[in-house]
Amino acid sequence: MVSIRSRRLAALSITLMLTASAMSACAKENAGGDNSATDGNVVHVVCGATEDWCAATTEKFSKSTGVKADFVRLSSGEALARIKAGKGSPEFDVWYGGPADGYSAAGGEGLLEPYVSANASVIPATYKDPTGLWTGVYVGALGFCSNKKILAERGVAVPQSWADLLNPKLAKEVGMAHPSTSGTAYTALWTQVQLAGGDQAKALEYMRKLHPNVLQYTKSGAAPAQMAARGEVAVGIIFSHDCVATVEAGFPDLQVSFPAEGTGYETGGVALVKSARNPVSGKKFVDWALTTEAQEIGPTVKAYQFPTNPDAKVSDKVVKLPTIKMVTYDATVAGQAKSALNKRFDAEVAQAPKS
Amino acid sequence: MTLLLPERAPTATPPGARRRRGGDPAIRLLIVVCVLLVAIGAAIPLIAVLATAFAPDALPRYAEFFTSSVDLGILRNTLVLGALVGACGTALGFLFAFVQTRLDVPGKKILHVIAMMPIVSPPFAVATATVVLYGRRGVISNGVFGLQYDIYGLDGLVFVLSMSLFPVAYLGLLGMLRGLDPAVEEAAMNLGASRWRILRTVILPLLAPGLVAPFLLLFVEAIADLANPLVLGGDYTVLASRAYLAVTGEYDLTSASVYCVILLVPSLAMYFGQRWWLNRKVRTTITGRPSGSVHLITGWSRWPIYGLALLVAAVIVSLYSTVIIGSVTKVFGVDNTLTLDYLREVVAGPGVEAVLDTLLFAAIATPIAGVVGLMVAWLVVRHLRRTAWLLDLGGTLGVAVPGTVLGIGFVLAYRPDRYIGDFLVFPSLVGGSALAAGAVSIVLAYVIRSLPAGQRTAVGALTQLHPSIEEASTDLGASALQTFRRVTLPLIRPALLTGLSYSFARSMTSVSTIVLLVTPETKIITSQVMSAASTGRYGVAFAYCTVLTAIVLAGFLVIRFIVGAGAELHRTATSEGQQK
Repeated sequence: MVSIRSRRLAALSITLMLTASAMSACAKENAGGDNSATDGNVVHVVCGATEDWCAATTEKFSKSTGVKADFVRLSSGEALARIKAGKGSPEFDVWYGGPADGYSAAGGEGLLEPYVSANASVIPATYKDPTGLWTGVYVGALGFCSNKKILAERGVAVPQSWADLLNPKLAKEVGMAHPSTSGTAYTALWTQVQLAGGDQAKALEYMRKLHPNVLQYTKSGAAPAQMAARGEVAVGIIFSHDCVATVEAGFPDLQVSFPAEGTGYETGGVALVKSARNPVSGKKFVDWALTTEAQEIGPTVKAYQFPTNPDAKVSDKVVKLPTIKMVTYDATVAGQAKSALNKRFDAEVAQAPKS
Repeated sequence: MTLLLPERAPTATPPGARRRRGGDPAIRLLIVVCVLLVAIGAAIPLIAVLATAFAPDALPRYAEFFTSSVDLGILRNTLVLGALVGACGTALGFLFAFVQTRLDVPGKKILHVIAMMPIVSPPFAVATATVVLYGRRGVISNGVFGLQYDIYGLDGLVFVLSMSLFPVAYLGLLGMLRGLDPAVEEAAMNLGASRWRILRTVILPLLAPGLVAPFLLLFVEAIADLANPLVLGGDYTVLASRAYLAVTGEYDLTSASVYCVILLVPSLAMYFGQRWWLNRKVRTTITGRPSGSVHLITGWSRWPIYGLALLVAAVIVSLYSTVIIGSVTKVFGVDNTLTLDYLREVVAGPGVEAVLDTLLFAAIATPIAGVVGLMVAWLVVRHLRRTAWLLDLGGTLGVAVPGTVLGIGFVLAYRPDRYIGDFLVFPSLVGGSALAAGAVSIVLAYVIRSLPAGQRTAVGALTQLHPSIEEASTDLGASALQTFRRVTLPLIRPALLTGLSYSFARSMTSVSTIVLLVTPETKIITSQVMSAASTGRYGVAFAYCTVLTAIVLAGFLVIRFIVGAGAELHRTATSEGQQK
């Protein structure tokens, strides 16, 4: 009996000691000082664009500058979560791609390092943060991605307005992502806020009316394009460039349309992560991302966003922004409201019964 | 001989014998190693999560949860899903194991291979293929039968999860059905019982503890599953996906921890329920070499059962064919032009790094997980008394704790370097700046996530093995480890084989923990699949899945080759006719 007890005590004490040491030992965090001296001539990118685009961009960057680059692709909300988790000892140096709302939210929490690149002077003021927290690298308009065949079967015309989406004939036929994970869906939500003149309650009311028509709130913003393409849903609320890319991928039945009331848009950002381990290379990446060379990569990998650099060549497949009615979209304000509004969306809309 | 014995009476072993065993330094070392691994890999991350969940600011959330009809609905959804998947998956597993061991039908080897396929199923593969084949515009449901079946929601989830998880039940039950002493059935048969009556009154009661274990496993895996609700959930929200959303979308670790604590309650309840059930009555069925021969069913009644198994097998084959065809066609179901672009991207393009990394990590983790699982099981069943439940629980944490939570626990516990004063006690394991670029934590996560599989099967097998066999060996002077190696191990070799194979497959296909641990320098196939599937690049996702499946199958062969197929415990009478 003695041996049993001592064995148990030994086991318990080992567990406790380990736990105690792991919990109580201080977590030594990076002081947040200047790491330029230790820059490893490499840049770790958390990338919110498509996998292809991220790969092509980092590859071209390495070729042009001789700085090594690697990336992890994460949706906007996930990227923000990862950067937050790594606060103080970041694993990433640069955040590239995905709506600026997320960047603004991250900036508000002190996760980003302001950096005004010399190359940013050519970028229009609407597409960058004045303090250099983030700089826009592309712009994309939100739109509807419709499967013409399914709509014809349902006897519904291609939707031309947000109100059209509320058609009861489209029950469970609309695809949209969850704004908590997806920057795309948050752009859609914030667009409603803008259309309602800043009234969040009214915007959520629209979303509640739309709710019975939504099949599922997906994780990734681009997923509804795929769902519409396969005919799982008739209409996806997504960035128009993702729809164009899906047509390119072999789904000719899809058609892009824009709501007459006005639509929102994203400014895809690039930003330096606070206390990055490779700040010199990180800055090089930001500088380079604003050049025409970087901004002309998109169309080669089926990414048809509008470049922010006015000198960059624009592919014919890119949606011409000036032809669309847009709402005023202030990424900074949208970013500040993001966390609270997403919580309300989840509680008041996403979890509500569909009746 | 089969004995129905009461729980080993503690007085049966002379105290002296036990002290001798306990004093064995090798056993002590084993205990320390197992405890250390479980503590670092599972306990500490869990404690980190619990500390967050029971921090003062988290407490009001519980009141919120239990007064909100929405939150309670999510809890109910979770439990219903777990119970349905547990029941359906166990039933499927039993069906296949029964066909395999008791029916005289052709094509059993192929059926076995098909039943094993879902074990290698990469996350997202089955769900995505199900949408393509049986979804609203499915190639089969809509294309062949003209149905517009809405697969999103509970029905789709139960279908997909049962299909992907039932091999666990199948493998466990197969081992047990093979281990059942045919003499019992023979006796019943000689007394004039019908086949149906034997199944009902002999086989099922003997297997009952074995049926509870897979039910438990499937239940906890189903409620922890993340990939399928993301693809197929529709408006059916479960706790795991809600917690994931709280973490990845809102970085609200407090809410996520609260959801996880609530998710842990049913898991632990199932766990202790099962222990209580097992301890009520121990049915020992392997007491040495079983005597007698298995009489395979040859009558007409085998055909409907066989037909059912064939139908399920056909569905499984259709799902995996879709994965393979999907990887070599542009867009399966819409544009069936052949293309090798996707496969080329995986094996000769950017994907090759992920393939090599994953393979390396899984190859390191598998033997560790398999052996430690077996050791933990052995210690739990044979050597520890009062602390057994603690180690057993620790070892099961990898499956009881949802992967996302474990991942977050890793991040919370191991991201920063831990110092006492200026002395580095514990280096950072997670993140791009961590030890070996985060590879250590990925391997550790693999081990912890796949350890319970081997442990469960081994506990099942060891519980069926009467201790008197080992006692005979120790009485003859063999040390505990010698006994284990020479006597126990050969008898439970099928369980080791199962454990290793399953560990390897689980490592290769684990996603929910891993997505939080991948770094720019360590790419993992499953996180690439998730990335591709969630951005709609199905072709690439299918290509990754195809390559992953091929690797896992190859891994099975290697493991089988190294471990051996397992001891044949009894002769099989090919037909009753020959006996007469």
